[in-house]
Amino acid sequence: MASSIKSLKAKKFLPMLGDRRARLKAGENRMPDGTDAARAIALALHPKRQYLKVAQVITRSADCKSYVLVPDLGRGTEKLAYFGAGKYLSVFETIGGSPVNRAYSISSSPKKALEGTYELTVRKVEGGFMSRYIHEHWDVGTLVEVSAPAGNFEYQPLRDAPHVIALAGGSGITPFLSMAQAIADGDEDFTLTLLYGSRDAENILFRDELDIIAQKTDKVRVVHVLSDASPDSLPEGMRQGFLTADLIREFAPANEPYSVFLCGSQQMYAFVDKEIAKLGLEKKYIRHELFGEFHNPASLDDYPENVPETVQITVTVQDETKTVTGSSTDSVMQILEKNGIAVPARCRSGECGFCHSHLLSGEVYVPKHMEFRRLADYPFSCIHPCCSFPLTDLVINVPSAER
Amino acid sequence: MKTYDVIVIGAGNGGLAAAATCAKAGLSTLLLERHNLPGGSASSFVRGRFEFEPSLHELAGVEMVGQQFDNLDAKVDWLTHASTFRLIVPAKEGDKDAFVNENGVRVTVDARMPVGFENFSRKLDELVPGSYESAMKAFELSENMFKAFDALGDGENYAGLPKALPYMPDVMRMTSHTLNEALNALGMPKKAQDIFSTYWCYMGVPGSRFDFLYYMAMQSGYIKNGTGVPRLRSHEMSLAIDKSIRDHGGEIWYNSEVTKVLMRDGKPAGVVVNGSKEVYAKRFICNASPNFVWTDLFEEADVPEKQKRMINARKTAVALTTVYLGMNKTKEELGITDYSVFIAPDSDSDKQFEACQNFFSGYCIINCLNEIIPDCTPKGTSQLFLTTMTSGDVMKGVKPEDYKKFKTKVARDMIETCEKALNISIIPYIEEIEIALPPTFSRYLNTPQGTPYGYMLDKWDSMLPRTIQFMQDQPFDNFLFCGASQERGDGYPSAYYTGEKAARLTIKAIKEGK
Repeated sequence: MASSIKSLKAKKFLPMLGDRRARLKAGENRMPDGTDAARAIALALHPKRQYLKVAQVITRSADCKSYVLVPDLGRGTEKLAYFGAGKYLSVFETIGGSPVNRAYSISSSPKKALEGTYELTVRKVEGGFMSRYIHEHWDVGTLVEVSAPAGNFEYQPLRDAPHVIALAGGSGITPFLSMAQAIADGDEDFTLTLLYGSRDAENILFRDELDIIAQKTDKVRVVHVLSDASPDSLPEGMRQGFLTADLIREFAPANEPYSVFLCGSQQMYAFVDKEIAKLGLEKKYIRHELFGEFHNPASLDDYPENVPETVQITVTVQDETKTVTGSSTDSVMQILEKNGIAVPARCRSGECGFCHSHLLSGEVYVPKHMEFRRLADYPFSCIHPCCSFPLTDLVINVPSAER
Repeated sequence: MKTYDVIVIGAGNGGLAAAATCAKAGLSTLLLERHNLPGGSASSFVRGRFEFEPSLHELAGVEMVGQQFDNLDAKVDWLTHASTFRLIVPAKEGDKDAFVNENGVRVTVDARMPVGFENFSRKLDELVPGSYESAMKAFELSENMFKAFDALGDGENYAGLPKALPYMPDVMRMTSHTLNEALNALGMPKKAQDIFSTYWCYMGVPGSRFDFLYYMAMQSGYIKNGTGVPRLRSHEMSLAIDKSIRDHGGEIWYNSEVTKVLMRDGKPAGVVVNGSKEVYAKRFICNASPNFVWTDLFEEADVPEKQKRMINARKTAVALTTVYLGMNKTKEELGITDYSVFIAPDSDSDKQFEACQNFFSGYCIINCLNEIIPDCTPKGTSQLFLTTMTSGDVMKGVKPEDYKKFKTKVARDMIETCEKALNISIIPYIEEIEIALPPTFSRYLNTPQGTPYGYMLDKWDSMLPRTIQFMQDQPFDNFLFCGASQERGDGYPSAYYTGEKAARLTIKAIKEGK
């Protein structure tokens, strides 16, 4: 007989229906497992919120303090989420009726998280809303609410060179301290040369801690670069000046690729980016930590003219609609927060997309360096409120901030 | 307190289609989504100067999905590409039938298959002589099956039945036999069967368990129409439906997780959002995975016994692991010549499935979107998308603190497998990388073991019996499930279909005053 589907029995079909019902009915009469190995890891690494309390406050310099945070079992956090060195926590506070958050790199090592502590290091910034609040209000016993560890500023061996030249400015040292400690602990495996820029020797953060790590492992080397020190009073081994291309060349490995990681202020990025450009590195070898919240869009060349000083924003969150007024020099997110409306926010730098929202009418300005929207966001008019500055009155739809 | 006609739980593809269909029909519709974006798997993400497609390999052409989108008044810029797949089975030591392919690699199979039934069958015959007729017969059977289904859906009260009847015996043969059984009956040589079965992984069911009818329904679409994708990643598709929902007066609340279902008189009456806000509706469509719906949203006493038994009787479908690579070289510089290459440790689909129970199996699909959308990345760059299947059980014993290293190791194994199979170099040119393991999928999809595929479409739990018993599978008369957990399993058009269907049933019930 020639090969044909006809050799198969069609009548086999009807009993299949009864068989299926019988099999489904034969399943155990118990609640399904509420979890599994994949879900357990997802929940352990990405809790919706972590409820912590301040266990210790350490003064690092005149304007900088570290806060050691531990889980607050009373509010349901049993364990700290583990993290890769370089990640940040978003700290949530309500200040004067404004729900706000800021991202702070975890300055302690991943290993410390397993032992039950995170350390955040906060420099009091001039005019800084959150940093000033933390310095004034956080003390031993203060209850704190933070996100899961987040961000992409981590070492990735498949992408990054085995040798990383880290350029840190001031409190931008925090993710690198965590990375250096992780290398010493054996949790990360790469060579880290840390070119750390501070104003003067008094303003160096974690000087002893960095020394200890550098003594422990030959994979970490620290070079202090002081901008305001006079050459005569320069402590031994330190450099005077700025984080320049020449300096990077001096410490870069010869004849092999190296990665450059940057973390610092927006002013530092502006300077150092120009220096790095001189090195002719491939883009893959240059990685920036978050740019940080941006103010004063009018300072940028492509900012349009004749923007009204104040704008109205009509915002809908779930089933509540409000109309608020704000300054066009503030981002949409800042305007909403100043009016007591919480916006889902993490990085506040345009990158993470957590605040993804619908712009129903009106126009916004987005600084080019903060443009990380998805391509389809343009035709469907979606914005990231953290880096969108109103040019006209707006009508927007914003996701709930409750998660 | 406002009571909606319908609340849709979850804005995955099924939930989006359900909400859009309901809103378009004039129902007061609320779509609740725990994430800040629509689409579930159908999304995108940005790293540096790259925007990655997270899940879509290909649509079978764009005709069917285009029709679905037209029905929803959703506009997408579609692209098509006249390609199907290339299957490469690298040779093992001692393989007698090994040869060196165009890449200079020793292989036992290298099949680059063209679009069109005739072309495909000829190429198959060229690779495995004596397979042309059986392949053409398989395609003819699938064409007849579609004619039967079209006729059955024609008009009211089975008016089309007479037209469908002549095909029904074969339809019943197809659905009650596996892919392997049917291809054997058609007299297809074993090696040709292996090539013919390459798409099994799109549903995660190997040849000895996949029913022939559903395999052909899926596969023939790809062979007939080639590849279709949206121009701006799947995020474009999801935002297009999001827009349709809002344009038709529906509401979507993002970052709004249903944390509890409120019962009244033994059936759902409302939901609690983010643990605090109560909203009510007459009817519900649920795109969330049934497993966690019962454990997370219901009191145990309210969970129907039948539902508990069903879940415990069914097998969770395969889980996936994906690696996304932003490359600082073009596809030409990298030496990539195909959109979609399936690299397998063995040509037999059951052996592939078995291997995939472990990390890492040597099974890897590599896609290069630039092949279809040359400008999907900046000039001088390209993006690659690597996929392998695994059992979700592979995560057992991996501690959170070891997860990052584990991820990197799996990704390295996958990339090196592609490098060897294609004789190309990838690692030195990686500018951006993201790695998604079952926990990543679990986080974003909230499904058991992170599977995007629902329950395994095993031969006893296959598509047609699921379809016929759809209403029997539903938990309450005002609460219908949609999405990959339902009759058609995974795949974008399948999920859209289930959402649309749940919506049609819901609209009918509301119009009848129920």
